[in-house]
Amino acid sequence: MANLHIDNVHKSFGDTHILKGINMDIADGEFIILVGPSGCGKSTLMNCIAGLEQATTGRIIIEDEDVTEAMPKDRDIAMVFQSYALYPNMNVWKNIAFGLEIRKMPKDEIASTVERVADLLQIRPLLKRKPSQLSGGQRQRVAMGRALARDPKIFLFDEPLSNLDAKLRVEMRTEIKKLHQRLKTTIVYVTHDQIEAMTLANRIAVMKDGMIQQFGSPQEVYDEPVNLFVAGFMGSPSMNFIRCKVMEHQGEAHIRMEVDGKDYNLPIPKQEQAVRQRIGQTVILGIRPEQITHVIPQQDAGPNMASVDGKIIVTEPTGADTLTLIRMNDQEVNCRVHPREAKEPGETMTFMINMDKAIFFDPETEDRII
Amino acid sequence: MTQSVSTPEPVRTVRKVRKPSLGDRLAEQIPRLVVSPTLLIAVVFIYGFMLWTLVLSFSNSRILPSYGFIGLQNYERLFGNERWTVAITNLAIYGVLFVVICLAIGLLLAILLDQKIRAEGFLRTVYLYPMALSFIVTGTVWKWLLNPTVGIQRFVRELGFEDFRFDWLVNSDMSIYTIVIAAVWQSSGFVMALFLAGLRGVDDSIIKAAQIDGASRITIYTRIIIPSLRPVFFSAIIMLSHIAIKSFDLALALTGGGPGFSSDLPAIFMYQFSFTRGQMGVGAASAIIMLMGVMAILIPYLYSELRVKKDDR
Ligand SMILES: Nc1ncnc2c1ncn2[C@@H]1O[C@H](COP(=O)(O)OP(=O)(O)OP(=O)(O)O)[C@@H](O)[C@H]1O
Ligand SMILES: [Mg+2]
Repeated sequence: MANLHIDNVHKSFGDTHILKGINMDIADGEFIILVGPSGCGKSTLMNCIAGLEQATTGRIIIEDEDVTEAMPKDRDIAMVFQSYALYPNMNVWKNIAFGLEIRKMPKDEIASTVERVADLLQIRPLLKRKPSQLSGGQRQRVAMGRALARDPKIFLFDEPLSNLDAKLRVEMRTEIKKLHQRLKTTIVYVTHDQIEAMTLANRIAVMKDGMIQQFGSPQEVYDEPVNLFVAGFMGSPSMNFIRCKVMEHQGEAHIRMEVDGKDYNLPIPKQEQAVRQRIGQTVILGIRPEQITHVIPQQDAGPNMASVDGKIIVTEPTGADTLTLIRMNDQEVNCRVHPREAKEPGETMTFMINMDKAIFFDPETEDRII
Repeated sequence: MTQSVSTPEPVRTVRKVRKPSLGDRLAEQIPRLVVSPTLLIAVVFIYGFMLWTLVLSFSNSRILPSYGFIGLQNYERLFGNERWTVAITNLAIYGVLFVVICLAIGLLLAILLDQKIRAEGFLRTVYLYPMALSFIVTGTVWKWLLNPTVGIQRFVRELGFEDFRFDWLVNSDMSIYTIVIAAVWQSSGFVMALFLAGLRGVDDSIIKAAQIDGASRITIYTRIIIPSLRPVFFSAIIMLSHIAIKSFDLALALTGGGPGFSSDLPAIFMYQFSFTRGQMGVGAASAIIMLMGVMAILIPYLYSELRVKKDDR
């Protein structure tokens, strides 16, 4: 249990700059999710926190103590490695017990801890096996177990569930959440899984090219992304981006949108004052697929509701919803409709757009217009 | 799917693939044809001669082979010979020390070289260089170095330490240890190379995980890295022990088995009895004993190697 303060950390390997000034202030007991495209430096940042890599400049502060120069063992961190990193010469039991033995835990306590962790991760039948005799998902759970056996100040998880089957992954996700609620240990967790990110995090940090783009609560990152990258990275299917012009219509700023040969004037919500100033300019409209649906009676009356008729190009049923592709301003747009309402490709249907949730980006800077 | 139940199964016509021609079959056999002369030579000159030696060891051969069967008499004479007992004892001392010291020095050098030091490539070559020399050269060089009147002893005395003594080469209690020194010098670089390759194969993240677990550098080596080098230890021990058993040229060049026969090894014994002292029968018996020694080491090794291969499949 500890707070974690990352102060302007840079990391270079020779001439390649991987981390370019990371600042994070993590409170005691927070669950932080780190997301970002492959190669953006997530694992490198984890290694810097753990002390396995020395930050080139900047400071790492754990529990109000500057540990930038401290050895990994003195930082009291437990970590799950992306590559599992199990000790090949030890069986599963010894793998989990090793860290406890090193830290001089009494024998009977070690035994009970290993068993508790093995039950939690459903690896009890594997305790006698060597890592080479395990499947990828089993190895990953052993790697989890090795971390969970300890009671550190901070947990670092580098994609700990990436190799599990869908069902086990959901179970483990729930276990991790329960564990965090019980132990209240600070956790930094890397994942590529959108649902994991949204469900587990107190706050999400979105990284790109060694810089943090946005650091905020899941809802904030989802609803109020600061730039095009964050908006496109979070959410699956990802947000629609439509280039369009701001036009004056009946004395008010509107978005001019052409759908299958017909022009529409879409309302701009009141809170987007800055966009209303940009009459005559091109902006990028960002709107999530779930905000473009079939017409739902009683909900289509709001001031920021608009409806357009679009010809369906492709449909992709996902079970719960059907994703339908239409063209707006000659750009492809994903819409999420109820399977019963979805029409066939080639047919035209009326879509309802909730412009209340629309956000706008500057095409030049790609930042959100505020 | 359901309607196909009533319709009869259509008759399939299957074309036969053409049989392989004579040329094809010949091409398939070429590797075997090419290898067979060498195989024949190997069988005759290795296994044939082993067999012949076995026959001779039960015969009354003296200077030349003869085939009067005398049972185990040669073996009795062999083990009754004090010189053979000395040779066997020497081999035990030399073999154990040589293997253990080579492993220790090789492992130590490998671990030191593995610390991401500069000029590693250069150092590695330096340590490996003795391997490139023949044992005769090594023996001759060390014979000069260890000779009290020209080598290390004289050098240190000239530095001012008048009482310094290092005369193992001419001391019949210590002469066997000079062979150990020279052999270790020659072979430990090779063992280092084996261990270094093994160390390089250890995944970096395993070491990181152990650091996180709080293990010190020494613990990481003793509990994780060195145990995972077990296969390397195994191969190194096998190679070193068979070098030890067949050591002949080194001992001959360095001490010639002397002073007296104090540093005799079974290989020297065998050579001298068979070819210079006209006791071919006893020599053959000693050769058979040595062969059994080598097999005692190699057969378990081959057995475990082959078994591992099967497991991998
Ligand atoms: N030891 C190193 N030397 C040089 N470059 C390195 C080193 N380690 C990592 N890198 C580089 O740093 C960048 C970031 O790597 P990192 O492993 O942190 O990515 P990541 O965000 O964890 O990606 P992924 O999601 O694929 O795991 C990569 O471009 C990688 O090539
Ligand atoms: Mg990574």
